[in-house]
Amino acid sequence: MLYPLLWMLSSSFKPEDEIFSDLSLWPKAVTLASYVEGWYGLGINFGRFFLNSLIVSGLAVVGNLAACSLAAFAFARLDFPLRKFWFAAMLGTLMLPYHVTLIPQYVLFQKLGWLNTFWPLVVPKFMAVDAFFIFLMVQFFRGIPRELDEAAVIDGCGPWRIYWSIMLPLSKPVLAAAAIFSFIWTWDDFFGPLLYLTDVANYTVPLALRGFVDATSRSSWGPLFAMSVLSLVPVFAAFLMFQRHIIEGIAASGLKR
Amino acid sequence: MAHSASLAASTPGRVARRRWDGVRNALPGYLFLAPWLAGFVLFTLGPTLVSLYLSFTDFDLLRAPQWVGAANYQRMFSSDPKFWASVSVTLTYVVLSVPLKLAFALAVAMILDRGIAGLSIYRAIFYLPSLLGGSVAVAILWKQVFGYEGLVNEFLWFAFGINGPSWISNPATSLYTLVLLSVWQFGSPMIIFLAGLRQIPRDLYEAASIDGATRRQQLTRITLPLLAPVIFFNLVLQTIEAFKAFTPAFIISGGTGGPVDSTLFYTLYLYQQGFAYFRMGYASALAWVLLLTIAAFTALTFFSQRFWVYYEDDQR
Repeated sequence: MLYPLLWMLSSSFKPEDEIFSDLSLWPKAVTLASYVEGWYGLGINFGRFFLNSLIVSGLAVVGNLAACSLAAFAFARLDFPLRKFWFAAMLGTLMLPYHVTLIPQYVLFQKLGWLNTFWPLVVPKFMAVDAFFIFLMVQFFRGIPRELDEAAVIDGCGPWRIYWSIMLPLSKPVLAAAAIFSFIWTWDDFFGPLLYLTDVANYTVPLALRGFVDATSRSSWGPLFAMSVLSLVPVFAAFLMFQRHIIEGIAASGLKR
Repeated sequence: MAHSASLAASTPGRVARRRWDGVRNALPGYLFLAPWLAGFVLFTLGPTLVSLYLSFTDFDLLRAPQWVGAANYQRMFSSDPKFWASVSVTLTYVVLSVPLKLAFALAVAMILDRGIAGLSIYRAIFYLPSLLGGSVAVAILWKQVFGYEGLVNEFLWFAFGINGPSWISNPATSLYTLVLLSVWQFGSPMIIFLAGLRQIPRDLYEAASIDGATRRQQLTRITLPLLAPVIFFNLVLQTIEAFKAFTPAFIISGGTGGPVDSTLFYTLYLYQQGFAYFRMGYASALAWVLLLTIAAFTALTFFSQRFWVYYEDDQR
């Protein structure tokens, strides 16, 4: 299962000519040459792309957590006219392939003058477009005893206090799962940046990697692998640290429906 | 109750106040919902309607859309061989990758469910490829693994002395390397299966084995029927995902869908039409056909439920 990934890792530390002549996972001589060559391979160093990815992913996490938890709280706990209708509409967006909205959205962002900026990648997250997270949070909020809200109302709490001081603190597991998935998916997203970012200085890591494939000749797999390994490090780190949340998040999303 | 209702109806002031109460109760709900509502209108509902309109136009982003009626759809079905190539590639991919992936996911989940020491480590190992799946890095890795000088051929040479072809640049095999990539990422349906298996009461198996049921009978009479809702859920989810596959094909073929359109996924063709040739009207029509196809497949799967999915609550 992991052999290809391990092989890529070990190849990134091998001298270029050893990558294809040696199947073993243990490099005979460890060298960082591939990393050095790859880091500066596109004229701009890879740190820039990491920074770009970090900005986009960080804002996406904040946006998703804020906007989706607000909507989920409304759906799970508040009563208002047409609630069921909007809830059904929200579930409907889960099914809608993004290709349908792609071109009008592109035209919209073009009219706003947002092409080649991070705005198209970030602003929709603050408007809870990732319905998956709303759904996940609604399921979780429903499991929190209603008596807590009722007691809070008797104590004079308004909806905002209930949301902020009761729901959110009790919802750390689901918020953590949403944050991690949000981070990983945005970090790995290729299609969005491919559409909206044209200037190399604005590239996110996946886009830079792709540029790297085009820019380098077929023979230089070493630097390509080195940068690929680096691009996976944040995802891998998030996975190791929050493995339990990730797996529970998946299982919950699958079963509580 | 009736008394107070008649009282309220008799005094107009109370009616007004009650209506005001209704608004005041609705207000927090809509305030909390506001970001989502704005996003829904701006980024989903609006664009969906505009996209439907654009699909009946010629639109190159520079000039205003020109109404052409059903011409885009006609062209797609009658005079666009590349459209049919992409349909065939995508259907082949869906039909091969989804069942294989689910079968692997289920098999591994059942093995892990038997109770193995270090379960969480195995779970993590099997899940990791899924997590990295959409990344460009893994697509690059795959391109090398199945390349002419790649890992697969090195292994074939080393083990059997076979000189393998370049799997990714051979139109006969290129699509299957992508199917394999998808199957390799069986982790997330596996986790869902694992959670489903956990919910099957153990005493059912004990009772069955006392009655002399074989392992095979336990599988077909207990595990699979009770797991059917979870299998169904995974099937729907993975089918939708497979229809939308894009990044690996884009990276591995360098955006062309080659060799000879063998990896021209539907979404890749849509991207080419829209953003390489700027046929935004045609691309919108392609998107609508995709939407209807996914909807039809999903509806069909839902319809098929009655023949194979058993829900416990139905019986009561």
